[in-house]
Amino acid sequence: MRFDKKNYAQLENALIKAYREKEKPQVSEQWEMSVMQHIRSLGALHFKTSPFELFEQFGWRFAPAACVVIVLLTFLMVKLDFAPEDEMAKFSIDHPIEASYIEMPGL
Amino acid sequence: MPTHTTIIDDHDIVRRVIAGDINAFGLLVRKYQGHILAVVGNHIPYNQAEEVAHDVFVKAYQSLLTFRFKGGFKQWLSVIAVRTCYDYWRKEYRSREIPMSSCSEEEQNFVERATAKQFIPATFQENTQKEARELLDRALVKLSPEDRMVLELVYFEGLSAKEAAGLLGWSVANVKIRLFRSRKKLRKIITGSLED
Repeated sequence: MRFDKKNYAQLENALIKAYREKEKPQVSEQWEMSVMQHIRSLGALHFKTSPFELFEQFGWRFAPAACVVIVLLTFLMVKLDFAPEDEMAKFSIDHPIEASYIEMPGL
Repeated sequence: MPTHTTIIDDHDIVRRVIAGDINAFGLLVRKYQGHILAVVGNHIPYNQAEEVAHDVFVKAYQSLLTFRFKGGFKQWLSVIAVRTCYDYWRKEYRSREIPMSSCSEEEQNFVERATAKQFIPATFQENTQKEARELLDRALVKLSPEDRMVLELVYFEGLSAKEAAGLLGWSVANVKIRLFRSRKKLRKIITGSLED
């Protein structure tokens, strides 16, 4: 069977109608009892107070900020050409006599 | 639209539950079970709806401390219900079995009737609805959970992109893009299975 725009639109309408007229589930009083039984088994609610629980709850909220900081620092390091090992190697090759452990850190 | 009194009543009940009156949660279960079953029933197979609705209320209870007393409890509960349905399809999607792509004879007949020139939706019989639903279920199961949820909420239930975004926790732009793509996918699946 081949579809054109018009007959597919008709089919879509029929499918939407079928979707909306789907039989709605019903529950018994027993279902309500089983939900409440489950909830009672969980016990009363309590606010999280221990540092570990608080970290678990709020720690992840800092994740986007941490990612932004990492990206910024990486960008700055690349931009400022911050590569200490490279600099030290370059210095010792360019100035083999002056290069010493004392001069390296700039003492 | 919930009235101001309803919101206050719900807020009072939530405060009671938070204060330790677990049984007060039963009032919310009784009040909103119809609504939650309607939401869940739209997205989940009939035989699984009870269990998923059960999970919705348990999750709502466990998250009650995060409830902000600014909006309505019903709206908050609806968000939990939609996301629980989404989780259900995510689990199902991981362990899914792809159904055969070809349609049954009944489904083919349904499509022929639905696309006929003199087709009038109001005259559809109950058994035709069943065939349509089967065809739709067969197509929806092939979509990813994200595509499925956005299609069901916006396209089939008629919610706005903003409402669907609020329920799913996505941006409006994401909902619109996904809706466009998933409609195309659905069309491809349906026409593909019928053109075979």
